[in-house]
Amino acid sequence: MDVLNPRALRWKIAALAAAACCAVAAVVGFLVHDATRERGLRVGHDRTLTRLIAAEREFSRTGKAPADIDVRTRAELPEPLARDLAERRPETDGGYATWYDVEPPNWYWMWGAVAVGDDQILVVRDDMSTEVRSLQLLDRSIVKSVLAALVFVVPLAALATEPINRRLRHGARTARRIADGDLDARIGPGGRARDEITEMSAAVDDMAGALQRKLENERRFTADVAHELRTPLMGLVTAAGLLPDDDEATGLVRDRLRALNALVEDLLEISRLDAGAERARLDPVPLGELVADVVRRTGTDTRVAVGAAEVVETDPRRVERIVVNLVTNAHRHGAAPVEVTVTGARIAVRDHGPGFPPDLLERGPQRFRTGASERGRGHGLGLTVAQGQSEVLGARLTFANAPGGGALATLDLAPDPA
Amino acid sequence: MTSNAQVGSVSEARGPAPVSVLVVEDDATIRRAVQLALERYGYRVAVAADGLSGLEAFRAGAHDLLILDVMLPELDGIGLCHRIREESPVPVLMMSARGDALDVVAGLEAGADDYVIKPVDTGVMVARIRALLRRATFRPEAEGTAAGKPGRADHILVFGDLSVDTLGMEVRRAGETVSLTPTELRLLLEFAAAPGSVLDRRRLLRDVWDYGWEGDTRVVDLCVLRLRKKIGSGRIETVRGFGYKLVRG
Repeated sequence: MDVLNPRALRWKIAALAAAACCAVAAVVGFLVHDATRERGLRVGHDRTLTRLIAAEREFSRTGKAPADIDVRTRAELPEPLARDLAERRPETDGGYATWYDVEPPNWYWMWGAVAVGDDQILVVRDDMSTEVRSLQLLDRSIVKSVLAALVFVVPLAALATEPINRRLRHGARTARRIADGDLDARIGPGGRARDEITEMSAAVDDMAGALQRKLENERRFTADVAHELRTPLMGLVTAAGLLPDDDEATGLVRDRLRALNALVEDLLEISRLDAGAERARLDPVPLGELVADVVRRTGTDTRVAVGAAEVVETDPRRVERIVVNLVTNAHRHGAAPVEVTVTGARIAVRDHGPGFPPDLLERGPQRFRTGASERGRGHGLGLTVAQGQSEVLGARLTFANAPGGGALATLDLAPDPA
Repeated sequence: MTSNAQVGSVSEARGPAPVSVLVVEDDATIRRAVQLALERYGYRVAVAADGLSGLEAFRAGAHDLLILDVMLPELDGIGLCHRIREESPVPVLMMSARGDALDVVAGLEAGADDYVIKPVDTGVMVARIRALLRRATFRPEAEGTAAGKPGRADHILVFGDLSVDTLGMEVRRAGETVSLTPTELRLLLEFAAAPGSVLDRRRLLRDVWDYGWEGDTRVVDLCVLRLRKKIGSGRIETVRGFGYKLVRG
């Protein structure tokens, strides 16, 4: 698996850890920020009041305000300060009004005001930017420490998932090996961990075991049947070859023997395909050359047209089986002329007979069912084999009736992944 | 029995004396019918009904080619092939009725040169026999396919510690003679004629085994495997998805 794959479990867990880290930092940061801000305001407030009280005392003693204190009329006060002053009562709270005047980025003043006579108000203005700056510094250092923590936490979380990842990758690799035909492959218990992954591994191993037993039984049976059928056939075929060639009975025997042989081979092939025991052996194959050669060797009167054929990565023996079966089927059930066309990675076999029966078009090839009687006799295994082989190749075999009449079977060796 | 003696006896047999084939097959009908059919093609045919008597028959007479059934009583065809390979590079054609991968691969691993699946038509079997015998008598200068002309010094090709004498048909590895079966030798000559270039399995199957598209490329893979064991595993490299190549140095 690609280390850079953003959807890998490792990065998901790392992202989760980072998110948790950030969330904690945000909450803590917010609380600290808020507390510090409160404290700053209180300090500024107290400082302003202290100056204001001192100024008031000085004013009542000398009738003059200190140099750094303004004496203003009510109309000269900033609006919010005037409003606050109006609410103050000297008998309960000393009549000190304050107003925090904020206009970021650099206008932070704590105002204080107290009435000392008719329309004579002492106004103090205290710079709050030190408090604001230190708050900003605090925020910045919180962000910095979170980033520094993330630098450690993210790789650490990514690394911490490695044992889990390794076990999962091992499991996936093993499952794929089983799918590719290595039935002995097992994930195994692996390590001391007893968690969900262990449980899943055990389940996959059990499944592989059951599959293996079933498949091996099936394979053994097929191989045994093959042996039991082919051994007498071999004797028969060789013995029939010894019969005098110019005898009519010899012809009859050999003809039926060929039919019997083909039937046995088709049945064995189908049961091998059913058992899922077949694996394609891929080679680069020039498709045009292969098809032309295969059709020529069927010894039938079949036209081959090769246009822009590709070199395809496929199993030529299976392609041969499919093409031979399609061509034989076209001759047996269709009518001449039979045409084979190769374009790209696609092979089309077309005849000019009555076409495929609707049943076959609808449901695909069925064993021992040839549909309409006008398509003649036959055991219907040829197309089933062709279909099964095309599945082993990962190809697509489709049956249709050509617009101008006649059956059209198309084998697409490189179908769209859809 | 050395490689040269065996190969030599085959070429003599192509003269007046008929080629001798030993058929080891437990089914009486097949045994007799194959014997009769091959005799019609002019071969001298000896038969044996089980593995052990097959081994005895092989040791008793100089046979140019063996046809072994896989499933035999006493000693099966694969075991028999192993025992024969310890003594001789004689061409071996395996005959399997089961036809599953295990039989085929085991037979080829044991040293068989080729295999057929029963029931096999006599014509096909004779074609296989002829291809095998052609390999056993193959001389590159006579056929004019491989490098080197007779009498010239360049008939000895050297690849690292491996030397191939295309005239004397002798292969040496680090000075020691390597005993190759005719098929292995023919395969090696094919590689030696084009060192460093990739030969695809289909082409090897056609040029060495005389197969068309119907041939099974496992035959090539397993013969390459056997060849590697004899001449050093690094000498022939696998080029995934394409085939094999001989390493020059």
